[in-house]
Amino acid sequence: MDLVIGIGNRLRSDDGVGREIVDRLASRPGLTTASVHQLVPELIEPIERARRVLFVDADVACRAIDLCRVHPANARGVGHGLGPEGLLFWAESVGIATPDAWLLRVPVRTFEIGEALSEEAERAVHEALVRIDEWLDETAVGIGSEEEA
Amino acid sequence: MEKQIHIEPVTRIEGHAKISVFLDDAGDVRDAQFHVTELRGFEKFCEGRTLWEMPGLTARICGICPVSHILASAKTCDAILAVRIPETAELLRRLMNLGQMVQSHALSFFYLSAPDFLLGWDTDPATRNVVGLAMKDADLARKGIRLRAFGQEIIDRLGGKRIHPAWAVPGGVNRALTEENRTWIRDNLPEVLDTIRFTIDLFKKTFATVESREVLGTFDSMYLGLVASDGTWEHYAGMLRWVDQQRKPIVEAHDPNKYFEIIREASEPWTYLKFPFYAPKGYPDGMYRVGPLGRVNVCDRFGTPLADAELETFRDCQNGQCSGRVFDYHYTRLLEILASLERIERLINDERITSPAIRAHAEVNAREGVGIHEAPRGTLIHHYWVDENGIIEKANFIVSTGHNNLAMNRAVQEIAKTYIHKGEVSEGILNRIEGGIRAYDPCLSCSVHAAGHMPLHVDIVDSDGETVQTLRQE
Repeated sequence: MDLVIGIGNRLRSDDGVGREIVDRLASRPGLTTASVHQLVPELIEPIERARRVLFVDADVACRAIDLCRVHPANARGVGHGLGPEGLLFWAESVGIATPDAWLLRVPVRTFEIGEALSEEAERAVHEALVRIDEWLDETAVGIGSEEEA
Repeated sequence: MEKQIHIEPVTRIEGHAKISVFLDDAGDVRDAQFHVTELRGFEKFCEGRTLWEMPGLTARICGICPVSHILASAKTCDAILAVRIPETAELLRRLMNLGQMVQSHALSFFYLSAPDFLLGWDTDPATRNVVGLAMKDADLARKGIRLRAFGQEIIDRLGGKRIHPAWAVPGGVNRALTEENRTWIRDNLPEVLDTIRFTIDLFKKTFATVESREVLGTFDSMYLGLVASDGTWEHYAGMLRWVDQQRKPIVEAHDPNKYFEIIREASEPWTYLKFPFYAPKGYPDGMYRVGPLGRVNVCDRFGTPLADAELETFRDCQNGQCSGRVFDYHYTRLLEILASLERIERLINDERITSPAIRAHAEVNAREGVGIHEAPRGTLIHHYWVDENGIIEKANFIVSTGHNNLAMNRAVQEIAKTYIHKGEVSEGILNRIEGGIRAYDPCLSCSVHAAGHMPLHVDIVDSDGETVQTLRQE
């Protein structure tokens, strides 16, 4: 099965966009989703069962939706800043054969306090859902060889 | 020439703190202080809010202990409504608190503290963390993850989410336990029970002698915890009991609603964390300890067979007296996980647990209320005063970490005196000092404020104000 993990703080406006996206995906048949405030080691359990994993996270630094491969990379400890690479490394370190994984970076405007998404983030949600559909169909740019990513 | 050694920030605790070690002219330890350098001020900004908001509002004090604050707050609100909540609501609140106990203790043991003593105190800090632990013993790390996940899953299945569930409300809870969720908990209990029994055995083998558990120091104090009317370990209701180092009751059973008769709070200019003390003995002689070591020392029994068998072994080590070893916080944390799992099993098999009668409704019937229960880190006290419309006029929180403040300072002093002589320090020694704090599993988010994981920065400054040595752990 494919696993999509939306990451973010819903009380920090656009930071919650990843979770908004996975909420809209939750009813898709055959797809497992997780909506999380931050990445935590307990997520290795669904990761172990997944064929592929997609992390969805807000990013104020990127200008367009960006889908890229992510690989395990050493993380010092398991703190609040654990990223997809660190989580995958953590999974590997406890003996899990990590599935192929991608990160979908969603361009947003602000992480100010608030529960509403900005207009930019709202638009990005729709675009992200299209890209995720492509990812699910394995037709998205970034799926397949490292060069494409 | 007098030197000061600053350890800032202390890592792998919930929040941001600094330790200062003061050396005398010979370079030996003269004093040590555990500073909490942030201010939060929740008591003040709760004023003017409605009673009904308080469980959700105070839950935001912390991302690790929200369940503890929700439950203490809901109990306080029950007192102001003057309601007796339905028995199923109490059973469910107990179930969630036990889930919180399991997940919080597992986090403390497997993620934060075990790397120190299972990898070795003097291991390179770059690998002395939970990832390093996983690389050394993947199976143990995996067990720890699944154990914590079990506790979190109970919270999630009851409250709808793992962090800040708006579930316990004045008068009860707002969602019943479904048969599906009850079955899930029941089906997953055997695995986590095996895990904790395996871990306790491993712990006992690794630290087979009492001497091996002296690494973080030992000192006498009083101990505080809730106990049931027959002296059994309690976590949700019961009476306050204080015992001395010999396990003789100082206060056999004090009404929690009158905590203020025997607990006072002192302040010091060098820290934002207040110092609760046992009033009859004054400050600072009224030092006592709470949390797993406190609860295990004060109770007569756990009241469940597996945990009671382990308690007997634990008690035999100190001839029936209290353990004063700081390191035994870890040991007793494991014992409490076992007891919590056995209690969860008992609750799940109680037919009343899925009843839909989960909430009593009432208006404001009292102008003041106290709610006390045992959070993983120790006794948690909420106390509110309201106007006739239920608007908060004043709030007082005495949180677990605060109770242990005097003891944490004492622990730092004891370790520093043992491991620092003539100004000679090393990272391994400094980590033992940090370890002394970490054993208490302090939650500075609750006590004042939080900053998260940060690098270690140590300055050694002489009496002329010059930095003579700097140690960094990035």
